[in-house]
Amino acid sequence: MGQIVTNDGQNVSGSPKNDSLNDTLKRANEAFIKEQQNIFKNVWVPVCHESELLNPYDFRTSSIGNDNIIICRAPDGKVNALLNVCPHRGMLIERRPQGSFLEGQASGNPKRITCMFHAWQFDMRGNCVYVAREKEGYQDRFCKDDAGLRRLRCSVGFGGFVWVNMSDQPVALLEEWIGGALSPIMRQISSSPLEVVHYHKEIIQTGYKDEILNGLERNAGLAANLFFPFGHFASHNADEKTVPNGENKFPAPNATKSVKVNLFPGYIFHLSGPTLHVSTITPVSQNQVMVENRGLAPTSDSEQERLARSKHYNSIFGPFRPLKSEGPTPNGKPESNSPELSKHYNEEWVRWMEKHYNENGSLTNRVVAQGQKANPNLESEASGPKVVVVGASHAGIAFADKLRKNNFTGPIAIFDRQVGGPMERPPLSKGFLLGGGEIVESKSLLRQKKWYKTNKVRLKTQSIVHSVDTKQKTITVNNGVVVNYDKLVIASGAKPRELPDTVGVANAFTLRQPSDANAIRQAANNADSVVIIGGGYIGLEVAASLRKKGMVVSVIEAAERILARVASKPLAEHFQKLHEKHGVNIFTGIGVDKINHEDGIFAGVVLSDGNEIKADMLITGIGVFPDSKLAADAGIETQREDGGAILVDEAMQTSVKDVYAIGDVSIRRDQSLAVESVHNAQETASIAAAAITNNALPAIQTPWFWSDQYDTKLQSVGIVPVGESDIYQVARPGKKEGGISFWSYRDENLIAVEVVNDPATYMEARQCLDTKQSPDPKQISNRSYSPIDSGGARS
Amino acid sequence: MTNASAVEIEKKIEKIIYRTALALDDNDWKSWFDLCDDAFFYSITSFSPEINKKMTYFSGNKKELVGLMDMLPKHNTDHSPLHRHTSVYTVEVADEGQSAKAISSVTIYQNMLDGINSHLDSGESRLFVIGKYFDEFKIEDGNPKFLSRETKLDNRRLDKGSHWPL
Repeated sequence: MGQIVTNDGQNVSGSPKNDSLNDTLKRANEAFIKEQQNIFKNVWVPVCHESELLNPYDFRTSSIGNDNIIICRAPDGKVNALLNVCPHRGMLIERRPQGSFLEGQASGNPKRITCMFHAWQFDMRGNCVYVAREKEGYQDRFCKDDAGLRRLRCSVGFGGFVWVNMSDQPVALLEEWIGGALSPIMRQISSSPLEVVHYHKEIIQTGYKDEILNGLERNAGLAANLFFPFGHFASHNADEKTVPNGENKFPAPNATKSVKVNLFPGYIFHLSGPTLHVSTITPVSQNQVMVENRGLAPTSDSEQERLARSKHYNSIFGPFRPLKSEGPTPNGKPESNSPELSKHYNEEWVRWMEKHYNENGSLTNRVVAQGQKANPNLESEASGPKVVVVGASHAGIAFADKLRKNNFTGPIAIFDRQVGGPMERPPLSKGFLLGGGEIVESKSLLRQKKWYKTNKVRLKTQSIVHSVDTKQKTITVNNGVVVNYDKLVIASGAKPRELPDTVGVANAFTLRQPSDANAIRQAANNADSVVIIGGGYIGLEVAASLRKKGMVVSVIEAAERILARVASKPLAEHFQKLHEKHGVNIFTGIGVDKINHEDGIFAGVVLSDGNEIKADMLITGIGVFPDSKLAADAGIETQREDGGAILVDEAMQTSVKDVYAIGDVSIRRDQSLAVESVHNAQETASIAAAAITNNALPAIQTPWFWSDQYDTKLQSVGIVPVGESDIYQVARPGKKEGGISFWSYRDENLIAVEVVNDPATYMEARQCLDTKQSPDPKQISNRSYSPIDSGGARS
Repeated sequence: MTNASAVEIEKKIEKIIYRTALALDDNDWKSWFDLCDDAFFYSITSFSPEINKKMTYFSGNKKELVGLMDMLPKHNTDHSPLHRHTSVYTVEVADEGQSAKAISSVTIYQNMLDGINSHLDSGESRLFVIGKYFDEFKIEDGNPKFLSRETKLDNRRLDKGSHWPL
């Protein structure tokens, strides 16, 4: 029978204080119901692995608490979790544990989830697509559009597991919930695709909590050394006899050593030698729990490797494994670290259950409070870092680098919401889309791990900064962790603009983060055609990359020409010809009236002239907006009351003392145009670093930019003031065939230069602008004329 | 090989399967091993519709099985006896009487001894697992010996219990 534990952690099961057996049973049942409601319906549950539904229309059923759920793979490959209950009469829809909807069933059409009772049909996203006798039976009182299956929060990750949360408003995002708990095994379980090769389940005659706590006793021999918020913890093998210093090398077939991660309330990821074992609990009653056991192995295994893993797995986790006696230790007591593990677990359990006992405090507040308490490492940060950077963007990383180069010796901490180390963004729209993850993995990290260590910069990824208190000089990070600062630097960058009609449409993307690029690359591998809305640099770079893959590419630009906001007209014409030569269809001066989709999957666009372009995927590249909400919420002045870039002075300081903003999220008060570029990120970072270290502010450099499309390299220096009628361009032939540059002038003054495939000319142009020289516009088209030291000076 | 000798071998194979059931019911591992060739290989498998894959739950050659049985006293064990009900469905003799294959159904009951609370549970019989035996034999001088046994279970829900051959 499950134990009953009161708020203060006292086990009162069978206690003489209980006045009767009936009371005990009643309280146990109440506790069970509360556990279902308070815990299991609010936490992230790894319901299955993506390999259990490999193909479009595959499904897997499961249950969380007392709710039946179904997990489906949509035609676009996306995994969705739905309540497996028909909204018509509340009947269970799919009863098989696993299968495919691709073929028709006795009571269901192909590609549809069909309720066997009244034949209501749903697509893989849960949309209701057919109601029997809809018009005859319901007239206008009901529409099938209002009767979809309830969609649940669902995410695939952390080794390819499908995570579902029954709550519409989880207390934390999945990444926040996991936090760093899986980090001890993350590299191993993410390094190659895995599949479930072993599955069995068992019903254990005890409450789920007892089973977990009993499992902690079985951790004897494992040294618990990592505690995480939300009751998670990790233990590793202390068997140094066989593995002196190494860690588990899974998925290598000869891996040894053991690492075990317990995620609250009972999901265990256990790397044991060459095997990955994942067990999940599902409480059945107050004194019964089902444990599902999954063994995973790399899909790339040879037959022999698979056999060896299987034997190892079965000897430790299989249903016919020997249950070895642990035996006493030399001092006669079993070696166990369970007291501190049990305490950590119980504290979390009580916290979740308290919501019911005390309605005055919200669960979130309690969890937040716990977050402050549970992780001593994070707690220590409250008195630690003096310079805190929000966002590991180009600007954020460059700032930290400059700060150290300015001999700043204080602590620096960077908080970033992304998973993994910050990366160079420029390659994402170029080589990365052509495949080969190596480009991003190895070459495109903004800084290698060693840099952080050498420069004593603490990078905290998967850390969302929720708020800034400029009076207390603190920020609040995941789970309520409060971090103080002396100087705060906001480098949160920008977010891509989306078209409202594309939100929620499958196979419709924007591109900003590595995860966006990865999603585009994956979709492109299964697509033949793409529509790109926006003929700016991002749109054109993506067009070039996807055209190289052989896709049919259509670029739609609402302005009269491509690159209308960022480049001169001659350069835009040059690039338009380049793309057309490579077979890209470019439509300018035309808008998009409608986004077509079928079953929620992008199918094409209807242009403002009525023409339709059908395509398999859509990429929207219509610019970005500053991610300044954090600052605006904190009362820091932005361009507009409802947002815009953060306004800064010449030292990059915001309207609040000791709070700086750099990169794409910022704009100087004397600037009218925000410049989103690597140059701007680096320059603003240098200025802020100089200001904080009381050094002279560096001189403003001439802005520069580059773009790679096909085999063409564009380098530009200066900003072309497009749209100003007094600006004109002069073309200058390149030193080699294919090279050309466009020199923009106002009167006799050189303003900017755009250079195509001519690096030497770019260097000359940059020198001219940096030294405020203006070569003669009448002679610049002459290749034999040298623009350097030609005597012209800008006024 | 005459029909009469084939029938005789079939009968011997049926007998050896039933004798094996008795030996296993009695945890008489030695008697069982005596019925097995030195090249004997044993496995318990199951097909999981949940993950759409065939799985191996337990496997070992004769030497490994002997080692495992020797270690049994050092293992925690559910002492509830298992009772096998076996019906031989097919026997196919091949190679001029040198080898044979047999398929049998098997239903195994567990007669509770310790359980969760022996005060309540002991004495009760429960269905433990169901499945089929897929056996291969080597026949020398008209006498069959097990070359392999694959116990294909239908069960994927296997509560804590036996960890020896079924």
